[in-house]
Amino acid sequence: MSTAQLIALDLLATLLAAAGWVGAGVAAAARRARVALALLAVAVVVTLVRVTTAVALATGGWWFAQDRVVLTGPLLGVAGLAAVLTAGPRLLSAARAGTPGNSPAAVVPLLVAGYAAAAGLLFPFLVGYPATWGDVLVTVALVAAAGLVTWRVAGSGPPLWTFVPILAMGLAGVGAGFVTGADLDAGGGPESRHPAGHGVSVADLRGPTTPAPGGQVRRYEFTARRTTVQVGGRAVEAWGYNGQVPGPPITANQGDLVEVTLHNADIERGVTLHWHGYDVPAAEDGAPGVTQDAVPPGGEYVYRFRADQVGTYWYHTHQASDVGVKMGLYGTLVVGPPPRGVDVTLPVHTFGSDTVAGVAALPEAAPGTPVRLRLVNTDGVPHRFTLTGTAFRLVAVDGTDLNEPGEVREVELRLPAGGRYDLAYTMPSGEVALFVDGEALLGAGDAPKGWPEHDITRYGAPAATPFGPESRFDRSFTLVLDRGFALVDGVPRYAFTVNGRAFPNVPTQLVREGDLVEMTVANRGLDTHPWHLHGHRVLVLERDGQRVSGSPLWLDTFDVRPGEVWRVAFRADNPGAWMNHCHNLAHAAQGMALHLEYEGVTTPFHGGHGG
Amino acid sequence: MRRVLVVLSGLLLVAILVQFYFAAVGAFDRPQDDDSFALHSITGMMIIPLLSILTGVAAALARAPGRLIGMSFAPLGLVVVQVLIIVVGNVISGGSDEDTSAASLFVFGLHAVNALLLGGAAAAVFRRARAFAAEKTTVDAPQPTVTPAA
Repeated sequence: MSTAQLIALDLLATLLAAAGWVGAGVAAAARRARVALALLAVAVVVTLVRVTTAVALATGGWWFAQDRVVLTGPLLGVAGLAAVLTAGPRLLSAARAGTPGNSPAAVVPLLVAGYAAAAGLLFPFLVGYPATWGDVLVTVALVAAAGLVTWRVAGSGPPLWTFVPILAMGLAGVGAGFVTGADLDAGGGPESRHPAGHGVSVADLRGPTTPAPGGQVRRYEFTARRTTVQVGGRAVEAWGYNGQVPGPPITANQGDLVEVTLHNADIERGVTLHWHGYDVPAAEDGAPGVTQDAVPPGGEYVYRFRADQVGTYWYHTHQASDVGVKMGLYGTLVVGPPPRGVDVTLPVHTFGSDTVAGVAALPEAAPGTPVRLRLVNTDGVPHRFTLTGTAFRLVAVDGTDLNEPGEVREVELRLPAGGRYDLAYTMPSGEVALFVDGEALLGAGDAPKGWPEHDITRYGAPAATPFGPESRFDRSFTLVLDRGFALVDGVPRYAFTVNGRAFPNVPTQLVREGDLVEMTVANRGLDTHPWHLHGHRVLVLERDGQRVSGSPLWLDTFDVRPGEVWRVAFRADNPGAWMNHCHNLAHAAQGMALHLEYEGVTTPFHGGHGG
Repeated sequence: MRRVLVVLSGLLLVAILVQFYFAAVGAFDRPQDDDSFALHSITGMMIIPLLSILTGVAAALARAPGRLIGMSFAPLGLVVVQVLIIVVGNVISGGSDEDTSAASLFVFGLHAVNALLLGGAAAAVFRRARAFAAEKTTVDAPQPTVTPAA
């Protein structure tokens, strides 16, 4: 059973337990001693089931069960045991004697056990991971207060002053919640942030100004502006680089110097250019508030970097990116030798209910022509692609070629938000069509159904990598993704959280140049989180404890689905300050983002949100 | 306090009726996106639970029978069930971004059935609150003559 299914089963068991305990209390109050006894038995059984599900969850990773083990489980255990010991004998004798059995000593403990179970049900939704001391105090105080109120309503309640210690406990818990913890996570490595006070500003970490020998300069002028685009036969308001959606495609040969001058005509919220998956020098990365200030209307910023990485990449704004990318501020960046045969880049984007690919049709080609389709997911959610009419090879993922990719057919390709897949095939004599999420994207026909999902962790052949699952890591970071109430930019919200905190309160990860860094990302929530670290590609080590058995996977965006745990690694070889965030940009805007900083690098930019 | 209880339980009932309206707004919104059910989400996750708690507190302060106090919290519990139906449905689908299956739709459909229970519970609370307010006197003061339910 998958961890996601276990989470659902655990919640169901908790719901039934809460219903059982409350039901027993209500039945006792309604003078139905036999019914109350039966419900009490059900509640005890379901509570024991819940212990099993919590233990099973812990085997998927401590994070999945932490709140159950340290707080809500023991709380329900104590309350349930007290209810059995006090209410049980009274209900038994009442049932035997045929008396009502509705004394407060029977009713109140049963209801309190119900409150404890309900707390266990609500806690994962409202607070999530981790359960802190403050959360423990508040939760216990709430259950105790509800119990006291019930006791007083039931009749012979304790005096009012008994609320005072409970109130104090709750307030102490709330106060503990406001104590902000560490703002730095060194991942087990040394913590000196700015040795000897000689930091280098991230603004000075610029790219080279000349191409590599033999390369040329590729100059582009981009002006971000409001525009109108035609989508599915209707006019849609959009924002575009040079008024185009997608923006002008950038192509280069390896070793060229790419220079893009960005202007902003009328995008009030500001714009930047972020080179997604391209490991540019930090000052060229386009993360507002981290590597530059956003370009305001009338402003300008020049980006320069060497096109060293061959492959399929894309660019997009990183300022108010949740809105900006959705509105159309994105385009493609393809680096490599001039294509052989047909080579087409498909930046897939959704406007409302219409998903478009940037071109109207797959290119015509004579049978036997080599074809390369470069799929780019510019949306915030994964897309599922199917290709009919031909077998193909998945030759590259996130710009990096796979090792010995075999031919596949009749499979579904699940492309994470922000990710890229390069598909290669030889043009057959018949029709080829591309479908996305069960709808025709390019070409006609009925979307294939029931094709199995292609698992990229078991595709292609293994090859040597500079480090691997057995390496000794200089720093290890763990990111537990969840939802819960947290401060986002100082405002309490139902946020998307990392280790229980939301941006900008998630501790900054600190690395030193040359470190080998391990990052474990666990998803405790119910949404998919495409994780994206700027400035570095990561090597996938394991998913859910299973090592990659096919081609090595160097990714810049990996989908951590509900209940999944990914272990990835990278070499800290690109000094700077970098965003590390969920590429469902709506989630990032609601807190699911943090910084990764190199020791000795400072940022003069403040007030921006990096989003 | 009895009048406050009646008003709050009435508001709770109205909020649930409005919630049905917002559900239809979300279902017919084009294009269908994250914001389609924004009103439905806010009402369901914040307003109805809050009104349910306030009604229960008002019932307790008005020294209403334990049964009425308990029933006031029923909408809160049923809201949790509403959320769990979505959670379980999503898990069966494989995630909130995945296509639904016959099995997950079977579960999702229960969201509407449970909604009827929610409406029924709120209506019952409102009816009992009115009956309680009409009992004996309309004086809005502590009622020493009312025996605590047990």
